[in-house]
Amino acid sequence: MSDYAAGLRRGGPGLALWGMAMLVAAEATLFGTFVGTYYYLRFESVHWPSPGTSEPRVVVPLIMVGILITSSIPMHLAARAVRRGRLWTTRLLLAWALAVQCGYLAWATHDYVQQLHHSAPQDNAYSSIYYVLLGADHAHVAIGVLLVVWLLWKLTRGLTMYRLNATQAIAFYWHAVNALTLIVLGVLLSVRL
Amino acid sequence: MTTAVYEERLERMWRSRPGFLGWAMTTDHKRIGLLYFWTTLVLFAAGGAEALIIRTQLAQPNQHVVGPATYDELFTLHGVTMIFFFIIPMTTGAFGNYLLPLMIGARDMAFPRMNALSYWVFLASGIFVYTSLFIGQAPNAGWFDYVPLASAKYDPGHAIDFYCLGIIFNGIASSLTAANFIVTILKLRAPGMSFNRMPLFCFAFLAASWGLLFALPSLTADAIFLFLDRNVGTHFFDVAKGGSTLLWQHLFWIFGHPEVYILIVPAFGIATEIIPAFTQRRVVAFPLVAVAELLVVFIGFGVWAHHMFATGMPTVTVIFFAAATGIVVIPSTIQVFAWCMTFITGRARFKTPLLFIAGFIFMFVAGGLTGIMFLAVPFDQQVTDTYFVIAHFHYIIFGAAVFPIFGGMYFWFPKVTGRLYFELPGQISFWIIFVGTNLLFFPMHIVGLEGMPRRNYTYSSGLGWGSYNLAETIGSYITTVGIVVLLVNLVVSYFRGPPAGADPWHGATLEWTISSPPPEYNFAVIPKVSSAYANWDYADREEDRRKLAEGIMVLEQGHEQPVSAPVDGWLAEIVEMPHDSPWPILLALAMSIVFVLLLLHLWTGVCFALAGIVLALLGWHGEEPQESEA
Repeated sequence: MSDYAAGLRRGGPGLALWGMAMLVAAEATLFGTFVGTYYYLRFESVHWPSPGTSEPRVVVPLIMVGILITSSIPMHLAARAVRRGRLWTTRLLLAWALAVQCGYLAWATHDYVQQLHHSAPQDNAYSSIYYVLLGADHAHVAIGVLLVVWLLWKLTRGLTMYRLNATQAIAFYWHAVNALTLIVLGVLLSVRL
Repeated sequence: MTTAVYEERLERMWRSRPGFLGWAMTTDHKRIGLLYFWTTLVLFAAGGAEALIIRTQLAQPNQHVVGPATYDELFTLHGVTMIFFFIIPMTTGAFGNYLLPLMIGARDMAFPRMNALSYWVFLASGIFVYTSLFIGQAPNAGWFDYVPLASAKYDPGHAIDFYCLGIIFNGIASSLTAANFIVTILKLRAPGMSFNRMPLFCFAFLAASWGLLFALPSLTADAIFLFLDRNVGTHFFDVAKGGSTLLWQHLFWIFGHPEVYILIVPAFGIATEIIPAFTQRRVVAFPLVAVAELLVVFIGFGVWAHHMFATGMPTVTVIFFAAATGIVVIPSTIQVFAWCMTFITGRARFKTPLLFIAGFIFMFVAGGLTGIMFLAVPFDQQVTDTYFVIAHFHYIIFGAAVFPIFGGMYFWFPKVTGRLYFELPGQISFWIIFVGTNLLFFPMHIVGLEGMPRRNYTYSSGLGWGSYNLAETIGSYITTVGIVVLLVNLVVSYFRGPPAGADPWHGATLEWTISSPPPEYNFAVIPKVSSAYANWDYADREEDRRKLAEGIMVLEQGHEQPVSAPVDGWLAEIVEMPHDSPWPILLALAMSIVFVLLLLHLWTGVCFALAGIVLALLGWHGEEPQESEA
């Protein structure tokens, strides 16, 4: 690297974080479209949910999403620790976040399969958008878990600027996924209002 | 060290691999731009051939050059090709990729490997969609693919599945490009290039990129729903089960109308570069034009339902969207007046590129005026699905989007090839295309007003439409001749044209400060920028030469690129950029397999192919810049 470059300190977020922000913007718009579809179909329908379809449970999903959202704390702290070069702290915080995220994903997958035993996306339009919205959200959680596993594996071999950028970008992704999960849950539970 | 030594070092540092592998693994924005250019040109030829068959079929009443089923496939593929596989990739993929980094004084895009991925995904999606034609399953429900016609009940087989998956696949490529452009424009501008010093071309591409990023997800969601309805049995568009057919139209046009601006705003950008070069004058009302370019896309998100005035929406909704549509006229008109005033107050040299821009302004105003006519809702309802609509949007899409593309091909030809094109054949090609397109599209207004419906494969004699249609068909062939003259001129000029030198037009922006064709590292010294017309700031260019001689801001010890603050353009850091990589093409290949397996309903195979994507991503991120130890 040039002497000139080495003398500079970074001002503002790096390119990786900008790239992740673009991905999140596109994904958030996709979810916005799903949510818009949910309400469009709802307001076009006389019955919502359609007759014969049970309403979603409230308490357990709320508790589980509440737990998932707490993973933003270790992710945020990991992004701070990595900036200060604290490798072990970063690893521990990421492992803490990963434990929460894996726990949520395991419950969510089990719950999704259980729900499919009672109703199916093929039943009616309500079920179609319900399962697509919930499934898309779970898929994003699963991608997040894969990202954190990859990051931890990378960090076992030391810290580089590349991995620092990745940690910050993945932390940002997780905040976005947590926010999306909360919004999706709110939308799906709005039927109970 | 001398200037030559610095340049030799940079040359070695940024050189791509030679041969086929070099092109397959390239991350150089100029090479990717050229790959996009040649691919979109081939697809343009395909879309053009489809249009010619359509026009030949309609030349006379009661003709049977093709049957109704083939005709359905032709107009669907023509629309899909021209919009998704020609104009968007030609403007953003080819012009944007090649020129944006040069205009902002960068050495590459912000994410060079993602840039390569977007090209390979685009190429794969083009092959995917055109495979449908060769196996007799081409999409056949029109480019906007309305349900219930496109549902499994009325359109069984794989035709619409090709459409849904092809659109999603292509959308991934466009989204990657858009994200890359936004970050490149915001973060990779040469230090000192604050927003008010950024060329208008970049504002246009920034606007188009934001538009793509936020519009495409709506189309993607729509295509996902339709694919699921057709193949999994969901009921998004099934009214009997609580779905809605109008949902398709809303989601499609939430994408579709911003899309119109996504198509023409880059053309505005091309115009705002050609006009200053050939009038030797800064564009009048620079800040207003910059804001207008952004506004036209922003407002474009609020007008989608004007495509649906005939669907029986509530009156208040119809009036709202008619009024919103009227507002788009304001930023569009600001730009037209600014261009015209720049012409009037400058010394216009009507070389071929400027002729195409003058033609573009004429066609844009003509198409814009018929667009305003649609605000009168009863009129819109009367002419919906007639040739009047076809006439309107072809004036916009061919006249306002493709004319500047042709002008841009001539304008930047010397920069890309190092040779000048031949002027006389260039001007002849313009006049042939101008006469041909007006003969092709103008009579469509008349037959449209007389009630000729679009998408019917033939019409009866005795309706009085025969002579108009014959004129349109003759116009289509004349246009084709003009395009052939244009391409032959450029090909001959490539081999026989006189040397162009670095700056044959005395252009305004940074790409004219470097040799033609540009070196692989673009700029030997990161340029100083004091205005949006950097090539006319002679003191800055002199300072660049001095800095190069002294080795200041040359960054020749790595694959280095300065990163700036997004608004002010102050130098923030210097980063290592990735080198050539095999992973983009491998990742695109894995993604292609996923889409093929989805089409074939091989769900287990899809899971394995997804694992292939993960492996390709692992390989991708296994390569880290060596100099980046923190």
